[in-house]
Amino acid sequence: MGERLKGKVAIVTGAGSVLAGIGNGKATAVVFAREGAKVMAVDYNLEAAEETRRLIDEEGGECITFKADVSRAGDCQSMVETCLQKFGRIDILHNNVGIVQWGGVVETDEETWDRVMAVNVKSIFLTGKYAVPHMEKQGSGAIVNIASVAAIRTTLPNCAYSASKAAVIALTRDMALQYAPKGIRVNAILPGLMKTPQAEYYNKDAWAGGDTAELWRRRDAMSPTGKQGEGWDTAYAALYLASDEAKYVTGTTLIVDGGFSNTTKSW
Amino acid sequence: MGERLKGKVAIIAGAGAIGPGMGNGKATAIVFAREGAKVMAVDCNPEAAEETRRLIDQEGGECTIFKADVSRDSDCRHMVENCIRTFGRIDILHNNVALGAHGGPVETSEADWDRVMNVNLKSMFLACKYALPHMEKQGSGAIINISSIAAKKTSAYPTLAYAVSKAGVIALTREIAMQYAARGIRANTILPGQMKTPRVAYYYKDALDEEVEEMWRRRDAMCPTGKQGEPWDIAYAALFLASDEAKYITGTTLIVDGGLSSTTKSW
Repeated sequence: MGERLKGKVAIVTGAGSVLAGIGNGKATAVVFAREGAKVMAVDYNLEAAEETRRLIDEEGGECITFKADVSRAGDCQSMVETCLQKFGRIDILHNNVGIVQWGGVVETDEETWDRVMAVNVKSIFLTGKYAVPHMEKQGSGAIVNIASVAAIRTTLPNCAYSASKAAVIALTRDMALQYAPKGIRVNAILPGLMKTPQAEYYNKDAWAGGDTAELWRRRDAMSPTGKQGEGWDTAYAALYLASDEAKYVTGTTLIVDGGFSNTTKSW
Repeated sequence: MGERLKGKVAIIAGAGAIGPGMGNGKATAIVFAREGAKVMAVDCNPEAAEETRRLIDQEGGECTIFKADVSRDSDCRHMVENCIRTFGRIDILHNNVALGAHGGPVETSEADWDRVMNVNLKSMFLACKYALPHMEKQGSGAIINISSIAAKKTSAYPTLAYAVSKAGVIALTREIAMQYAARGIRANTILPGQMKTPRVAYYYKDALDEEVEEMWRRRDAMCPTGKQGEPWDIAYAALFLASDEAKYITGTTLIVDGGLSSTTKSW
C-alpha cells in the first residue's frame, strides 16, 4: 500500500466500467485506494461499481459504493451527504462520467445534445456545487475532471461530445480561480485514444463494423506511439493531480494522449 | 527511499542553485534521488552542483557532479559521454538551465538576445542531440524541459528574449516528442509560474532585506492562491513526468503556476 493519498477521502464518479475490463474511472478508484484513500465508487450502474469495490477489497483497500445519476441534482446532493456520513470528509472529487454521441450538428438531435451536456458538463457543475462547500470548510480539496482531447482536436464529427468536453475545461478553470485562495484545486485531464471498455462500447460500430480487434488495431495505428493508452494512464495522472505533490497545480489541463493531439495528419 | 525511479539514471542540467536555498533543479535532483534514481548533477558552477550532491549524499542517495556550460556543444557531448561511462545508461534528461532577461526589442541588445537563446533553448537542443541516440538504443527515455508561463502570457514587465526562448522550448519539446514517440522516448515541458527560488532572489542580490521581503510579498499577492510556488512543486511535477506512471504522456505541457496563467489580470 502506498501513502500518497493517506487519510484522504475520494469520490470517484463513473467508477464502474460499461463492459468487462479496466476503464478510466475503475483504474482511478483502484489506484486511489492503493495509495491509501478511502474511496466512494459512484456509478449509475450499481453492479459496475460493486465490481470496482470487489477489486479494491481484494487488495485490502477501503471502498464503498453509491448509485447515482450525476446529471441529477438530487443524486449529487445525496452522494455528497452519504460520503460525509460514511467517511466524515471529502478531499478528492474525481468526475469521470461521460457519454459519447457521434455526429455533426445536422445529425445530432436536440434531445441528444441536451443529454450529452447534462451528463458530461452539468454533472460536474452539480457534484461541485455540493462538494465544494465541504472542501471550503476543510480549507482543502482537489477536484479532477475528465475532459478529452476532443475538446481541442477533431477526429470524426462529434459536436455534442467535443463541445461538452471543451466546456469541462472552462468550468474547471472557472472553479479553480474562484477557489484558489481557499485551498481547493481544480484540474482537467484530457485523455486521447484509450483502450477502455467505454471506447469499445461507443466506437466498435462507428469505427470498425462491430469488430473489436479491428477497432483496437485502428486506434493503435492512429497513435503516435503505436499504442493506445490504458485506464491506468489516466489513473496515474489523476493520482498526481489529486495528491499534495500537485499542490501548486490548479486551473490547468493535463493531456494524456501519447502525443496524439500534436499531429496534423488526418485519419 | 521511494522506488518510483528505481534503477533509472538521470541527468539534471542546472542542478545547482545560484544562491542559498532550494532551486527548481536542486529540488528535482533531490526528489529523483529519493525515488531511487542515480543522478548526475550538472551545473556551470561545480560548487553549486557539489552542494546538491552533498544533500543527496546525506539522505543516502546516489549522485555525481559534472561541470558544463550546456550552451556549448562539446560540453553537452562530454556530459552525456560521462554519464554513460559512470552509470552505463541515461533514462531521464531534465533540462533546467536558463537565464532571465528584461526588456523589449528596443531595450534588448543583440548580444543579450543571442545569449538568452543559447542558454535557454540551444542548450536543450544540444543536450537532447547527444542523449537521444542512447535513449533510442535503450528503447526508452524521458526528457523534461523547463519552460515558463512567460511562453504563454506576458507580465507587466517585458521580458522579450526570455519569453521567446521559453516558447521555443515548447516547440522543441513537441518536435522531439513526435519524432521519437514510436521509439519509447517521451518529451514534455513544465511551465512554472511565480516560484520562490534563489534564481529570483539573485536579481535582488544588491537590495536591502526589506526590499527583498517586499518583493516576495508582491509576488505572493500576484498569485491566485495568495502564494508563490516552491521548487518542490516543480520537482514533483518532474518526478511524475519522468516516471513510468506518465508512460502515455508525451509532447505536452504541464503548467505549475497556481492558476496564474488562467487569469487576465496582469502580474
